[in-house]
Amino acid sequence: MSDQESRSQIELAIDNLMRRDLITRRTFMRRAGRGGLAFGAALTLPSLLAACATPGSSQSATLKWLNWPAYIDITEDGSSYPSIDAFTEQTGIPVEYNEGLLANADFLSQYAPDLRAGNNTGWDVMTPGGWVVERMARNGWLEEIDHSKLPNWTANCADYAKGLWFDPDNKHSVWWQGGVTGIAYDPNLTGREITSFDDLLDPKFSGNVGGFKDMRDMFGLALLSLGVEPVKSTVDDVKRAQEKILSVPKGHFRGWYGNEYYEPLAAGDLSISVAWSGDISQMNLYDNDKVKFIVPDTGGMRWNDNLVIPKGGANLDNAHKLLNYYYDPVAATTLSEYIGYFTPVKGVDAKIKADAEAARAGGDGASPDPGTADLYDALAPTVVPGPAQVANTFTDKEMTEEEEAQWNALFEKVLIS
Amino acid sequence: MRSLSRGITPLLLLLPGMGWLVVFFVVPMAVMLMVSLQQGTFDTGYRLTWNFGIYPEVIGQYWQLYVRSAFFALSATVLTLAVGYPVAYTIAFRGGRLKNALLLIVVLPFFVSFVIRTLNWRMILSDNGIVFGFLKDLGIIAPNFHFLATPASVIFGLTYNFLPFMILPLYVAIEKIDRRLIEAATDLYASRVQAFWRVTFVLSLPGVVAGSLLTFIPAIGDFITADVIGAGNSQVFMVGNIIQRKFLDSLDYPSAAALGFVLVAVVMVLVVVYTRLIGSDRLAA
Repeated sequence: MSDQESRSQIELAIDNLMRRDLITRRTFMRRAGRGGLAFGAALTLPSLLAACATPGSSQSATLKWLNWPAYIDITEDGSSYPSIDAFTEQTGIPVEYNEGLLANADFLSQYAPDLRAGNNTGWDVMTPGGWVVERMARNGWLEEIDHSKLPNWTANCADYAKGLWFDPDNKHSVWWQGGVTGIAYDPNLTGREITSFDDLLDPKFSGNVGGFKDMRDMFGLALLSLGVEPVKSTVDDVKRAQEKILSVPKGHFRGWYGNEYYEPLAAGDLSISVAWSGDISQMNLYDNDKVKFIVPDTGGMRWNDNLVIPKGGANLDNAHKLLNYYYDPVAATTLSEYIGYFTPVKGVDAKIKADAEAARAGGDGASPDPGTADLYDALAPTVVPGPAQVANTFTDKEMTEEEEAQWNALFEKVLIS
Repeated sequence: MRSLSRGITPLLLLLPGMGWLVVFFVVPMAVMLMVSLQQGTFDTGYRLTWNFGIYPEVIGQYWQLYVRSAFFALSATVLTLAVGYPVAYTIAFRGGRLKNALLLIVVLPFFVSFVIRTLNWRMILSDNGIVFGFLKDLGIIAPNFHFLATPASVIFGLTYNFLPFMILPLYVAIEKIDRRLIEAATDLYASRVQAFWRVTFVLSLPGVVAGSLLTFIPAIGDFITADVIGAGNSQVFMVGNIIQRKFLDSLDYPSAAALGFVLVAVVMVLVVVYTRLIGSDRLAA
């Protein structure tokens, strides 16, 4: 069949189609108009209802909370968050929880324009890391916290969780959860025990080593291995740290990861990697129990994330209620039993041990659950940083913008060579 | 009066197209140029200081990334051509009633997001995954062999993701070829191979050019493949990755904009060279 014939066939077919279902312009517009009206009405209905709600009834306004992934307790089927549901029951405030905070620097660059202009970012509570809090506070982007509304914090906050370098008076932030950056490895793949940062640079492991693309974590560990505390480091020290990291053979670091180092490490693609403590606790429980986490002998990096209230939100009172709620030992225990990071609340480890006992004994109609009991027993000591851990872990340096630019420039060299 | 309206009408007809180009190309380019010439900090804001010195600085530091990205994109283009041409040819010449179904199959992966497709490939190609775990169990490859985080894997990822961009223009060009010309060639003592190279391929060149451009230009700026499949490994770090890093992590907007602008310039130069080589009359069938 040549092109000519096929074309006229098509034309005939179209003609038949047109004759069968005669849609004139008029009928089309009429249908479109009706449909559009119905659609528009459906869209405006929710906003009409919202407008009908009594103004100033902040009791029912939804609280919007932006947090990191894997940082909240969650039911088996992943459909709801027990501690948040309990909060809503207690206070009547519904919470919209979002796990969209994936990286500190990305988060900052995303919300900076709104914050600079004083607009509503769309969130009432956020959970950024320490250096971000310092910057946001310095730029006047955070609401001051009214501690008279946080009795639980005043009563229950542990000493290691307050007065940190980025917010010495806790004017703008309270500790959410914390952890340690150290080294994780699989002894079967490395063939020996790992104790120091230098092991990460051992050419024997070339091609199966994971680095972090977070400049503060990576340079922090390297500086510590040179005997320099990050807080006291100068740019020359950072240059030496950079050279140390660059001294490895080409392709030594298989990749420069964010949180996505988890899968390759669990799967065995990486035999040794920089890692976060809480991730490895969870990995041991669910994915790979052979991987071990150590704080390098020269020191690891101690960090924490913080609950902050950005300016431009409308839910100041309710935000305070949420912050206060998570400093209640019951809520904090529910949280820690799930996510295993450092809790700021006193007495949580004792409560977890009590839960372990209860699980072991059974009672109240529940059968004894030794599996859960063992889990809780193993977990209890890890939710509080022990004195040795605090002594051997160090915090980020508070940097000026020029310093940060210099560190970033040095780190970019590491990424591309 | 008549000659005046004749002069203006073509201009007026061009206006929508020009408007589109201005709004979606010229203005963003101008903004990027302005941003690249600014200086300042993230907190205090940036001011336009006409800092042209940023260009030599940025090129001096990162020229290897441009070379590497061009190499990756070129390899991906050649591979997509090698794989895509037989596919397009088969669908066009031998497709028959199944043409539409086959084209749908080619486009089907696009129903899934780019990132998710790339993540899936990372899973499939992982060290002890379906492909390599199997081969390692058979003893065909060494136990510590890895494909991910190598240049080859990134080129593979780029090829896979841009294959439909090559196949569809090729199909359109090949489909239009009048079969009788091939018949005529064979009548004039050309072998099947000669008929292919000197008639079919030459007539399909507009499709080859279109497909190459549609593959090369996005591939050179791609950063997701190097990030996901390449794990950000230093050997596969591309221009897109450094721009992303500077923009999102280092918050160094002027450098990121300068790098972007240089990329645009590099791509324009390469495209001009390419189309001159092929002959711009081939672009229009």
